[in-house]
Amino acid sequence: MLKGRTKFIKGYLFAVPLLVVLALAVLFPAIYNLGIAFYKYNVTDQNWQFIGFQNFVKLWNSVYFWNSFKITLLWVVGNVSLQLVVGLAIALALNSIIRFRGVFSGILLIPWVSSFVVVAILFIWIYHPQLGVLNDILLRLRLIDKPIAWLASPQLAQISLILANTWKFFPLVMITLFAGLQDVPPGLIEAAQVDGANRLQIFRKIIVPTILPSISTGVLLSTIWAYNSFTLPIIMTGGGPMRATEIFGLYIFKLAFDAFDFGAAAAASLVLFVQILVVIMLYLRVVERE
Amino acid sequence: MELRTASIGERSSRLMKGFVYAFLILASAVVIFPYLWMALTSFKPIEEFFTYPLTWFTRNWTLNQYGGVLEDSKFLASLRNSFLVSTMVTAISLGLSIPAAYGLTRLRAPGGNSILVGILSSQFFPPMIFFIPFYIILSKFKLLNTLSGLVFAYLSVTLPICTWMVATTFRNIPQELEEAAKVDGCGDLRTIFAVVLPLAVPGIITAGLFAFVLAWQEYIFALLYTTTTAAQTAPVILFFYLGQHQIDYGRLMAAAILLSLPVIFPFALMQRYFRQGRGEGSIKG
Repeated sequence: MLKGRTKFIKGYLFAVPLLVVLALAVLFPAIYNLGIAFYKYNVTDQNWQFIGFQNFVKLWNSVYFWNSFKITLLWVVGNVSLQLVVGLAIALALNSIIRFRGVFSGILLIPWVSSFVVVAILFIWIYHPQLGVLNDILLRLRLIDKPIAWLASPQLAQISLILANTWKFFPLVMITLFAGLQDVPPGLIEAAQVDGANRLQIFRKIIVPTILPSISTGVLLSTIWAYNSFTLPIIMTGGGPMRATEIFGLYIFKLAFDAFDFGAAAAASLVLFVQILVVIMLYLRVVERE
Repeated sequence: MELRTASIGERSSRLMKGFVYAFLILASAVVIFPYLWMALTSFKPIEEFFTYPLTWFTRNWTLNQYGGVLEDSKFLASLRNSFLVSTMVTAISLGLSIPAAYGLTRLRAPGGNSILVGILSSQFFPPMIFFIPFYIILSKFKLLNTLSGLVFAYLSVTLPICTWMVATTFRNIPQELEEAAKVDGCGDLRTIFAVVLPLAVPGIITAGLFAFVLAWQEYIFALLYTTTTAAQTAPVILFFYLGQHQIDYGRLMAAAILLSLPVIFPFALMQRYFRQGRGEGSIKG
């Protein structure tokens, strides 16, 4: 009994310094942010005033809030579906080869370890209307006859950003699905082949059901990352042109540090947080059913 | 008849294999191309940037862009800041997460596992919920535009992930080893330093490198909370290059390459240690 208790205390004593710093650097700021959402900050006299739910009401009535809401949804759906398709295709390809697998997976992981700022610069340079290599290639192949402003046109900016973001994030889905593919029993596939099943049937009846949990995990991770995006869009478009790429992260940033509306920015960050929580709860329900 | 179907099947599977390799080569090309293009650009003399159609492979290789970047005192100061912040963040993250992970896993603190999961789940918090609280806290303590302020903000990102990685390492070390050491008369501290830590070294190095790379590449908090060369890190200076009226793309590319280089080595090492950590069973001798 006594021994059990000293062990209890000792285990936590080791963890105390970490828990204290985490409380200061994570827990306290998160709770503080929750409080700020109910206050109005006055920049001139640096005064805080409790205003209840007014910040949320303000967001509800704001055109720009709903604009960001819509843009963010498109951004998340576009990124997640594209990353899933690319990630799944490459994971299947990697899984079906033995030679050079290490080389290919090493190369294909490069975007994942690249810094956001460097990725943003890579793609700004590729998309550049006059000096960019993308227009250069398309013009040489005579697929277009005049340069395209990839990031400066409201119709194209979002999809151009999604492509760049997919380049950065597909490896995450790829490795998650590749790990799942290792659980597919090879004997089962051979047996199905003997029974005359074709590739599509094997894929649909054996592979997909086995890797379904990994697919859910991959979708969850890429959804969370898409919701939390900030660096690529702020560097590449700054939310423009005409707010066409102003996802939530940028909207919150502008509320906080352009308009200095701290209360509304905190409230908007909570709205973002709740969306992520909803996604996580959906995921947990799906996993439970599986 | 039987033979013919077999050979058709074989041919189709060989075709399939060729198709798969072609696809992987294409995917790898798409991954490498942006970096290749950036490198080609960085060695090109500035006059050739504006010739049309674009010069892909210049005949006049130059290191001028790199020279320009390395003479820029702003960039050098930012590299120094990045290095200092990343080193401090790594040291503090490991210093706090190693004992905590040990206490929560090896000493079997009750509820330790739930605490670890809770710590890890803070990874999913959107960074935007910290924008304003951090700003207010840092300005209260006069830490805006200081390296210590950045270290504080970065710890919120690196501590959870480091703790989780180190805890996973500890969990994979068999408890029997430790008990055997105790039976042999080792005290707590001796058991930790002589038995557990040496086995955990690969995992700890991986976690440390991970923290270093995260801090080295961090951009959001550095953008929000630094304003001068006293604390601006290299990613922020790259953004500053971009914001200038006449963007010097050559210099920008050279700087981006210099910023990416230090990450290659940690990543290669990390992969090696990952394999070692998994391949070597702990119960060997």
